[in-house]
Amino acid sequence: MDREILRRLEKLNQLQLTEQEKEAFLAFYAKQENEMDVLNSINTDETERMVHVMPILTVVREDKVIKKYSREDLQKGAPETTEGYWQVPRLVE
Amino acid sequence: MATKYETVIGLEVHIELATESKIFCSCSAKFGGEQNDHVCPACCGMPGMLPVVNKHVVDLGMTAGMMLNCDINRVTTFDKKSYYYPDLPGSYQTTQWFSPVAVNGTVRINTSKGEKDIRIKQIHMEEDAGKLVHDDWTNTTFVDFNRTSVPLIEIVSQPDLSSAEEVVAYLERLRSLLRFAKVSECRMEQGSMRCDVNLSVRPEGSNVLGVRTEMKNMNSISAIERAIEYETARHIDAIENGTEELVQETRRWDDIKGKSFAMRNKETAGDYRYFPDPNVMPVCIDDEWFDGIKASLPEFPEVKKDKYITELGLGEYDADLLTESRALCDVFEEAYAECGMAKEAANWIISNCMKVLNRKQLTADMLDINGKALGQLIKLVADGKVGNANARKILDEMFENDIEPEKYAEENGFIVSNDTSKIQDVINAVVAADQKSVADFKSGKEKALMALFGKCMKELKGNCDPQILREMLLKTIQ
Amino acid sequence: MELYITKNEKATGKIIALDDMILTKDYPTAAGSKMLDGYMSLFNAEVVDRLTNGGYSIGGKAKVGELCIDLLGETSYFGAIERNDGTLITASSEIVKIGEALAAIGLDANGTSRRAAALNGQICVKPTYGTVSRFGTISIACSGEAVSVTANTVDAVKEVLDVIVGHDDKDGTSLSEEKCALLKSNAEFSPAKKIAIAKSITDSAEDSVKSKIEEVKSVLEANGIEVCEIDDSVLSVAKSAWNILMSAELCNNVSRYDGVKYGYRTPNYTTIDELYTNSRTEAFGELLKTAILFGSETLSTDNYMKMYDKGLRIRRIIVEKFAEIFESFDAVLLPASAKNAYTKADTDANKYIAYDENLYTAPASITGLPAVVAGGVQFIGKAFSENTLLDIASKLEGVGK
Repeated sequence: MDREILRRLEKLNQLQLTEQEKEAFLAFYAKQENEMDVLNSINTDETERMVHVMPILTVVREDKVIKKYSREDLQKGAPETTEGYWQVPRLVE
Repeated sequence: MATKYETVIGLEVHIELATESKIFCSCSAKFGGEQNDHVCPACCGMPGMLPVVNKHVVDLGMTAGMMLNCDINRVTTFDKKSYYYPDLPGSYQTTQWFSPVAVNGTVRINTSKGEKDIRIKQIHMEEDAGKLVHDDWTNTTFVDFNRTSVPLIEIVSQPDLSSAEEVVAYLERLRSLLRFAKVSECRMEQGSMRCDVNLSVRPEGSNVLGVRTEMKNMNSISAIERAIEYETARHIDAIENGTEELVQETRRWDDIKGKSFAMRNKETAGDYRYFPDPNVMPVCIDDEWFDGIKASLPEFPEVKKDKYITELGLGEYDADLLTESRALCDVFEEAYAECGMAKEAANWIISNCMKVLNRKQLTADMLDINGKALGQLIKLVADGKVGNANARKILDEMFENDIEPEKYAEENGFIVSNDTSKIQDVINAVVAADQKSVADFKSGKEKALMALFGKCMKELKGNCDPQILREMLLKTIQ
Repeated sequence: MELYITKNEKATGKIIALDDMILTKDYPTAAGSKMLDGYMSLFNAEVVDRLTNGGYSIGGKAKVGELCIDLLGETSYFGAIERNDGTLITASSEIVKIGEALAAIGLDANGTSRRAAALNGQICVKPTYGTVSRFGTISIACSGEAVSVTANTVDAVKEVLDVIVGHDDKDGTSLSEEKCALLKSNAEFSPAKKIAIAKSITDSAEDSVKSKIEEVKSVLEANGIEVCEIDDSVLSVAKSAWNILMSAELCNNVSRYDGVKYGYRTPNYTTIDELYTNSRTEAFGELLKTAILFGSETLSTDNYMKMYDKGLRIRRIIVEKFAEIFESFDAVLLPASAKNAYTKADTDANKYIAYDENLYTAPASITGLPAVVAGGVQFIGKAFSENTLLDIASKLEGVGK
């Protein structure tokens, strides 16, 4: 981790750290990296990754339409809307 | 001698699945609707809702896999892909990265150079993004989440395609197979079939790939053809003449200008940080589920066409028309099974049913009538029990309600009467009232007979064997 | 000191305090963040509906630290709760402590609920993953977070747990009704006979905490339960692994807060990127920002295998280690925190202290195993052994207060 990676990381996550926060983050990251070394000293070649702690499979629902919410309700807390659209600055492609 | 080049193309085709509801929430997945009408807290990216997979999405994902000769992953999982864009309300897309529903397939295409198998790398299920409407006037982008979370499959081919012609043949084949299997309507103009084109150029015979560019979100076959031709020429020009340096990038095809442009937002090539979605349990496809889908697969259209011609004696033209659409085939086969008259059944669908569809501004895929009832109707006509005009009225009704044709004909007085004395009464009355036509006929005007015939038929409400009426009418006036 | 961010003045009867991570239709939910200040959910969390249908009254929304990933609520946009003696405590724990509510409902991913209950001498259960619906909670780390119950007595915890446990179709990770029933207070269970102390984890705590463990040990032994130390070195890596998984999932879960659809939007933007970046930068606190960036990095193409994927494999190793322990023991005893009390000075000196304190709370989070805090310490049991753990807790009432 260095300042250049951190800069990209900030951009990727749409965040901007202050100089002080950057310092703190780099120190934090260095500490986590040390802990990674401990993790990586444990051999997991034969261990399968475990995403879900409960062994349940195939949770599916029927293909049925349920309409419960109105557009007006969903946009009540919106920062900016026009004619039922959420609104953002013009995107450049 | 000038170097010859070959184009190497791989396609990523996105197809919206024909489900009622979205992939992870119960909002309508239908195309259109007022902006932000098919939405709920989940597909607006609000906190608290948890995804539950729509089973039919998996059905259709498997179906697509089987239609394209893929291996089905019996345990298939969902993953999250992160990036910021206003059409992506959660700032992540749930897709399949680690274990897609289907892998390693083939699609056989036919071009002027003969048959060729295009290898399919994988098919994965994922959610669509919303729709953005850009307004230059107010310098604003409007966001509509109706399409957010509509289920998609993405079909990723190997870079086995080498020309616009092959690409077109491949896309048309995909469309035909997937429409046949009712996976999707594959309507490019509505965006339910979209295509990313990955293209590179290299000297013929070389086994090193050239610099690859990607054109995203192409949604018309003719635009794809033009884009491939333009992009191929641009690559060759760059290689031969050094007009520009080729870089691996995403480009946007502008069909009006007939040119491709590098996308301004280069950071989109960022890190998507895929990881398994902890909220979606692995989907395990057991034998029962697998076999059920397998059994539901349709015959390929060309197999059906062949059968219609060789076994049922249809002409090539009719067989072609019917096998354009699975819906037509289904109704045809049901009707034929009922009435045993293939040609009549084909005619009824191709002429009468299509007329009704046109009137209703529906496509062939939307033909939704009871084929068995159609078979019964055809029999009624063939047996002379119902006249043609009335039969068409019954057909109209079949588009609205699930009726029994014979019962309906009886209830509405559409059954042909064989009561000759009644027919004679009608003829006598018509002839008495229209002596002019009788005179015209006698003076050699054949048309006058038709006028009298029509009046009689109208009086009889169509419920009369036309042959009998004609004979009796002639006898009366001659 | 205001403990509620929104208080229901009309609450009567059996009152439940909700951590402000639990969505409610009638009260705003901010998750301790400026980002969601004033956010109104259109629906109630499943636990809220179950509680109100069960005749309980919602006392209001208790202040929490931002996204509930901190030590004891110190990062809350609405202010930390400091007692007169300068010690920190979470609002919901304190509401229950002073008798304003029968129980508190929280979302425990980073151990905040358990930690607070231990410091406050209360009973807290973080039930088996999948037995209480997470529908309507503000997600932190979906693979291991659980709705928790805190109360002053074992009976109150059991009573409330009975109401909220159960299958929910709206949560794809929800277990069957049959499995959920194993947690109910009327289900059969075997009382604990043997308990293992996680030695190295315990040794890493301060003496005051170690002596609590000793005290609990002697009470248990007096109740005829055998207590012995085990080698827990594998369990101690749960912290680092969970820190990865938790941060990565958090990074993804909070990426939806971008100033577009709801919540805070910066006034300072002309482009979409400025809208995103300034909204998030202005609305998120430092700990959350750090967690997001760290989590993002664990998922990057370069690091995925050695960080996130490694974390997932370590999770299995820890699950297997627990299974091995539970072949001989009925529960694992360990501290819930390194110290018996924390002040603002502690969290100022180490803003990321919660990451370190995960040494104690991560083993149950990463595995989804049930944990019960009682007598100021923590017990982890096998899945669905809540009754066994609460039975142990009942022997410790009055201890550690």
